[in-house]
Amino acid sequence: MEKAKKRQFGIIATIVLAAVIVLGLLWATAAAKQNEEHQDTLQRVEKLGRIVWGVKSDTKLFGLMNTKTGISEGFDVDIAKALTVQISKQTGVPLSAEFVPVSSSSKIQLLKNTNIDGTVSTMTITPEREKIIDYTNQYFDAGQSILVKKDSGIKSIKDMNASKYTVIVVVGTTAAEETKKFAPKAKILAVQDYATGMQALKAGQGQAMSTDNAILYGFATENPDYQIVGGTFTHGPYGIAFDNNQRPMVKETNKALATIKKNGVYNKLIKKWFSDVPGLDWHELEAK
Amino acid sequence: MSLLQNNFPTFLQGFGYTLLSSIIALIISMILGTFFAILQILPQKWAQKIGNVYVQVFRNIPLLIITFFFFLVVAKVIPMNGFAAGTIALSLYTSAFIAETVRAGILSVDNGQMEGARANGLSFGQSMRYIILPQAFKIALPSLGNQFINLVKNSSILAFVGGLDLMYQGNMVAATTFDTFTTYIVVAIFYLVITLPLSYYMQNLERRLKHAA
Amino acid sequence: MSMIEFNNVEKYYGKFHALKNINLKIDKGETVVLIGPSGSGKSTLIRTINGLEEIQEGNLLVNGFDLHDPKTDINRIRKNVGMVFQHFNLYNNKSTLENVMLAPRLVLKRSEEENKATAMALLDKVGLADKAANMPSELSGGQKQRAAIARSLAMKPKALLFDEPTSALDPEMVGDVLDVMRDIAKDSSMTMLVVTHEMSFAKAVADRVIFMADGEILEDSTTEEFFNNPKEPRAQQFLSQVDHK
Repeated sequence: MEKAKKRQFGIIATIVLAAVIVLGLLWATAAAKQNEEHQDTLQRVEKLGRIVWGVKSDTKLFGLMNTKTGISEGFDVDIAKALTVQISKQTGVPLSAEFVPVSSSSKIQLLKNTNIDGTVSTMTITPEREKIIDYTNQYFDAGQSILVKKDSGIKSIKDMNASKYTVIVVVGTTAAEETKKFAPKAKILAVQDYATGMQALKAGQGQAMSTDNAILYGFATENPDYQIVGGTFTHGPYGIAFDNNQRPMVKETNKALATIKKNGVYNKLIKKWFSDVPGLDWHELEAK
Repeated sequence: MSLLQNNFPTFLQGFGYTLLSSIIALIISMILGTFFAILQILPQKWAQKIGNVYVQVFRNIPLLIITFFFFLVVAKVIPMNGFAAGTIALSLYTSAFIAETVRAGILSVDNGQMEGARANGLSFGQSMRYIILPQAFKIALPSLGNQFINLVKNSSILAFVGGLDLMYQGNMVAATTFDTFTTYIVVAIFYLVITLPLSYYMQNLERRLKHAA
Repeated sequence: MSMIEFNNVEKYYGKFHALKNINLKIDKGETVVLIGPSGSGKSTLIRTINGLEEIQEGNLLVNGFDLHDPKTDINRIRKNVGMVFQHFNLYNNKSTLENVMLAPRLVLKRSEEENKATAMALLDKVGLADKAANMPSELSGGQKQRAAIARSLAMKPKALLFDEPTSALDPEMVGDVLDVMRDIAKDSSMTMLVVTHEMSFAKAVADRVIFMADGEILEDSTTEEFFNNPKEPRAQQFLSQVDHK
């Protein structure tokens, strides 16, 4: 009798505790969400005198961590720097640019948490994402492609529409969904970052890595046994992203973007990063 | 909670793979852990050394690195997918901790038990199996329970190698819905569905064995 | 042919010389009591006989097999030589009956039926038939030791070694255990070697008494001779200190 009572108490206590934990977490989530809203990014940036940009750290040509300095280098990083200078000129507020490495899966959350003010991180503009974050106009034209081993015999994404094939993608990119449209029977292996994806491809965990052509070019230059095949099968230009409802910040940034495209700064950066990529016509990427 | 409804099959699949990986890893790590615990207490110096090196290697390397080693290196020789690589890594990693736990358990069994068994005519193996290990496991039960719970949580390593587990599916759902917080709360609850009954069962077992003694 | 035979046996623990030039023969069916002050090497000597302690030099024949020969299968000797410990060493995770039945089942492959009948008969003989289902933790010290003796007997050994079997017992428990041992000694085919401080037991049961000190055998005489007319001064001194009337 005594024992049964004790056991019953134990079970009830466990359930109550579990419920408290779950409710606590839900409350914290709701609180965090509330905190996210109605902070004007432009005001915050001007007040603190700096823009914190989320940039990639694993993507050659766009944002790759220099292991000596610990700072990311690439087209995205330079664009962010140029925009910061231009916005500073427009607003008359001296601004410095700071950089935080972000991954494909973390960047939206970091924006929402205001850990970063904006992100220039090879981010494709999609209607789903536009519902929860704000995009600027496109700053880079990209499309999805596949990287395969040279002797694989695979010519395009359509060749991979069989269950014996595995396509490697990175979590948090649009690549998985797009791949499913063109090769619905292929298996998808989602990894945390591009470097792991490339290693997995080399280890034979998949037959192709799929993401934007611009990113794949970076890997193709490093790994001569691999090549990009079949051209692009999607059109997915990159945009600079801010949190939801940040019209003033987006407006300022679009203005700055248009200016650097006009004054030649943008084209200089295109040349700096893409003129040496074999098989890529970098003039195509220049602002007209 | 519409997030849970919309993605329920995805979560359920992840839950299944997490459970499967945990069960496989638990069985393998118990066998390996016990084996290497015994190696370490054998009188032969070479056996002790092998056991010790094994434990030190797998206990002191991050699980992620062991996992990537199997996923990216071993897979070149022996093809294996992320689920297999992660589960093997999890088994080896956990077995090192179990070996230490079981070894401590064996050492805390009175030496007279082994002498009594050997003098009674039992071989070393028989003495271990019938006399020492049952008592050692009983002593080690609370910390074995901790290891099992850690094992279930550590199975989230599969997410890094596309192992289709709960964490992996959580990442995918978070990436498509952009609702990271809610997704991971759902994932956490699924983990609790495994770990809470497990810890409750271990406590119960402990209590029952204590009464039996 | 002797059951146990030590020829020039030396035993060291590191640098400590624990057994010095031991020469000793114990015949089949003999009951020998080994006495001496603590630390004299009695326990070490008795533990070498079933290989719980290794010897470094000399040879030690048990039932004709040399323990110092690496080719000798120690398990084969242990099958024929039982041992009763000061602290009983009953299997804590097994019932009294299982304690007695385990080794015959695993080592001798005795049939379950015969095993159980033998075990129950032995438990009855040592007065523990009603404790068959109990766990060791539920037994008193004297009961534990009698169960341990039954466990050894179940293997039908040719020789039994007793390492201070009553030293850890409360005084009122000692008698029951000694009674059981006396019973065993009556069996003329059983070889017994007993380390003990119970002089009355030695006087009543032993054929021979061996006196050890500092790792050496100082005296090896018949029981009568030892108690009535000890030759060695150290044996005389020892006897004067222990109550043996």
